Amino acid sequence: MKNRRDFLKTCGLGVGAFMINPNLPRLFSSEVQPKANNSLLDKFGLTKEDIKKILSTALEKGGEFADIFFEYKISSSLTLEEDIIKSSSENILFGLGIRVINGIQTGYAHTNDLRIEQILNTARIAGAIASDPKAKIKIANLDQINHQNNFYSLENNLTQSDLDYKITLIRRAYNSAIKKEYINKVVATLSDEIQYVAIANSDGELVFDIRPQARLVVVATAEKNGIKNTGSANAGGRIGRDYFEKIVKPETIGEKAADEAITLLTAKNAPVGEQIVVLSKDQSGVMIHEAVGHPLEADKNWRRSSIMWDKLNQMVANDIVTIYDDATIEGYRGSLNIDDEGIVTENVILIEKGKLVGYLNDRLSAKIMNHKLNGHGRRESYQHPPIPRMNNTILAQGDKDPEEIIESVKKGFYAITYQGGMVNDTGKFTFSVNLGYMIENGKLTYPVKNATLIGTNIQILKEVSMIGNDMGFFLGTCGKSGQSVPVTCGTPTLRIDRMTVGGAV
Amino acid sequence: MNIYETNYLDYAHKLVEFAQKNGANQVQIAISAAKHFTVEVREGNIEKLQNSSSSSLSLKVIVDEKVATANSSDLSQDTIEQLIKSTIKRASYSNPDKYALLPEKQEPTISYIDLKIFDPQVEEIPAEKKIIRAKEIEKIATSDKRIRLSLGSFFSTSIFEYYLTNSNGFSGINKSSRCNAGVWLQSGEGENQYQDGAMESAISFQFLPENEIIAKTAINRVCRMLGAKKIESRKVPVVFEPRMTASLLGFLASCLHGSAIYSNRSFLVGKLGQKIAGSNITLIDDPTLIAYPGSRPFDAEGVPSRQTTVIQNGILNSYLLDTYSARKLNLNSTGNAGGATNFYLKEGNLSQDEIIKSVDKGLLLVNTIGQGTVPTTGDISRGAFGLWIEKGEISFPVMEITFSGNLADILNNIEMIGNDPEKNRSIFGPTIKVAELTLSGK
Repeated sequence: MKNRRDFLKTCGLGVGAFMINPNLPRLFSSEVQPKANNSLLDKFGLTKEDIKKILSTALEKGGEFADIFFEYKISSSLTLEEDIIKSSSENILFGLGIRVINGIQTGYAHTNDLRIEQILNTARIAGAIASDPKAKIKIANLDQINHQNNFYSLENNLTQSDLDYKITLIRRAYNSAIKKEYINKVVATLSDEIQYVAIANSDGELVFDIRPQARLVVVATAEKNGIKNTGSANAGGRIGRDYFEKIVKPETIGEKAADEAITLLTAKNAPVGEQIVVLSKDQSGVMIHEAVGHPLEADKNWRRSSIMWDKLNQMVANDIVTIYDDATIEGYRGSLNIDDEGIVTENVILIEKGKLVGYLNDRLSAKIMNHKLNGHGRRESYQHPPIPRMNNTILAQGDKDPEEIIESVKKGFYAITYQGGMVNDTGKFTFSVNLGYMIENGKLTYPVKNATLIGTNIQILKEVSMIGNDMGFFLGTCGKSGQSVPVTCGTPTLRIDRMTVGGAV
Repeated sequence: MNIYETNYLDYAHKLVEFAQKNGANQVQIAISAAKHFTVEVREGNIEKLQNSSSSSLSLKVIVDEKVATANSSDLSQDTIEQLIKSTIKRASYSNPDKYALLPEKQEPTISYIDLKIFDPQVEEIPAEKKIIRAKEIEKIATSDKRIRLSLGSFFSTSIFEYYLTNSNGFSGINKSSRCNAGVWLQSGEGENQYQDGAMESAISFQFLPENEIIAKTAINRVCRMLGAKKIESRKVPVVFEPRMTASLLGFLASCLHGSAIYSNRSFLVGKLGQKIAGSNITLIDDPTLIAYPGSRPFDAEGVPSRQTTVIQNGILNSYLLDTYSARKLNLNSTGNAGGATNFYLKEGNLSQDEIIKSVDKGLLLVNTIGQGTVPTTGDISRGAFGLWIEKGEISFPVMEITFSGNLADILNNIEMIGNDPEKNRSIFGPTIKVAELTLSGK
């Protein structure tokens, strides 16, 4: 077993950087210098032989497959509120998780105690799921798989950037919001991370990935005549500094949050009951995520709990609806080169012209359903086993001018921003609208707040009658089985002919 | 030195000294260590076994009233010492904030042992015993013919250890244990499917309700919704089941939190000492209750636990404050760093049946879905599942509706309070009847 410290000295990764040049103004420990992927295993102090030994220990009681997820993640965050930087934080996550698959069974154990005897013990605990030592399989020699995917650049990443730079970014966002009339409270937060992962498995595969992630969030509160409202906006992805310089300016994020809060000051309560609903492109992807994405995760389908389990190759939506989940969009928050099981990611079509054609799978569910692997096994961290998850879930563009869609509605509800959404396996979902508008005689009239949209996915998918030629994305963090992962969801403007809107009368 | 073989509190003390030597005026070190075991069973087979121990360290340094924090799951001394040094340097980039200093040292008046929140035997429960319980709960639940599908049952145990020390001389240990068991089920066909479940939780194995009780609760919850329909939009009295009262109280707790108050993001800003609820409402946060799930000897900053009457007969008596928000508001910490503890609505003396009997036309709210709560305004709008009440009797199940209202109004319109709180969660309350809420449906 190699000495873990060697890695710090040679690669300058992690906190070791500080020892190399203590005068560097980059005060986050994450002085990252991404080099050869192998250095991650060095950091764990493990050789390929050690890894083979761990895998064979995991399978010593039987089981057909074992893998190890190695993770080293540095994340940091910085918040500006009440006009000051109150604090900054840095988090180091360093550990490994071992999984054994035995039929439809999974054994999982993880540890942050990286002494080899502890790791072997962790492997034995994960292996306790199996009890047929005769079925012992031989671990193939570990061969590094060099995948070609490269959907994020580590150039100028935020985690490497100096603190002064980050403070300037959030200050710009903060100022653009606080200077607006009626805004009396703003909180701007920049979060960033770099996650190094390696996945080794009993088939002899060894895969690496280095994943940046950053997001700037602004929350603004407006107050007028004792009425208060909060708006928020955010932007980011697996991006570097260029993003905030060229694509989305921090000022834009601040202004957006402030404008939402100010508009809400004059908002009325939503008219209740079933009506025509137009979903704006801005954040309505959350509906696609909830109503379509979750029910199409393969684990719920082989277990027959999803309402979609028996509908493969059947029409489940209006034939103008095509939905896919694409993990391969450069720089997007939900994108990945490989998933957390080491599978190369791809664009997976879920619903094609109304027909259900695919599920999002991980190794276990693909094996059970006898489907081709499509790279959607994800986990929050080494402390969690992988499960099927979404990445960037998108309803494909249509051909209608968004104006035309609004004009087609005599009376209805236009939903713009959301607090989030939720769905259960039976397809019932809600999403909470923070800001919407009334549509009257084909025009947006007054702002509306505090509404909940509720429906059943099968019904809503059939009620989609017009699809815009525009596209917008919601940046989210999706929770499932106690695990949170970064995702996006995208949609054009959509007309839904009938949907229940709830709110106060 | 290998941290994994040392005493965490000694290690934390040494790190406090190290940080002070390296220029920190104030330091707080917390180490959490946890052991978790989970077995998930579905259709009679073990589907997942998870078993892990993990630890993490969090630190806060203050230099010239400037704050920086860090967290690490790598507890090795090299890493942590480097992290402390970089965190101290990083603090210089923060702005001075006099409110952020650590709390003055106060000795807790009660220990985790006195609180009876830790049962060391939980760690010794054989895996076999836990697996059998999970299997039995599912078996009983699926023996009911109305259950179409089991989404799985589980049994889990957790041991939490928390070591906190700071440069003001505070040093404390908290340990707690949990056993959890539950099952999730589906009933119905096609578009008229419903899912729900039951989960119980206890400090010791022997305090968990019988398998039969857990299974029957889940069966009842999922089967009573069979044949649910939509109703017309209307305003009616709504009876909240204890689980739904707890959810409402959770939202209230977030509106009472000091950070929401000084940030002007709560409808309760400036309401201290005022009547914000009906005289029948008394609300308490009490981390010193013996053997309750939210009990703890001290909070996340080492402030000793105490009982706080948050609302007394409708008057807002206190917010839930940590040291920072208390100083910002010129008040004293209530020991709520880390949030509400055992936060509960004082129970009344009516049974749920008596409350339902009082309703001519209304809804018994049994489940909600979605977010839809805005602390700034107190507005609530969520998807709802319920049972329609007609002339004091449960009539038929209702789904695909939303309920909406405002927490400020709700607190003033709780007409009846039950005697049936479910105390297995830290935030709890009994059945309540709210005079009127908006239901949106057809």
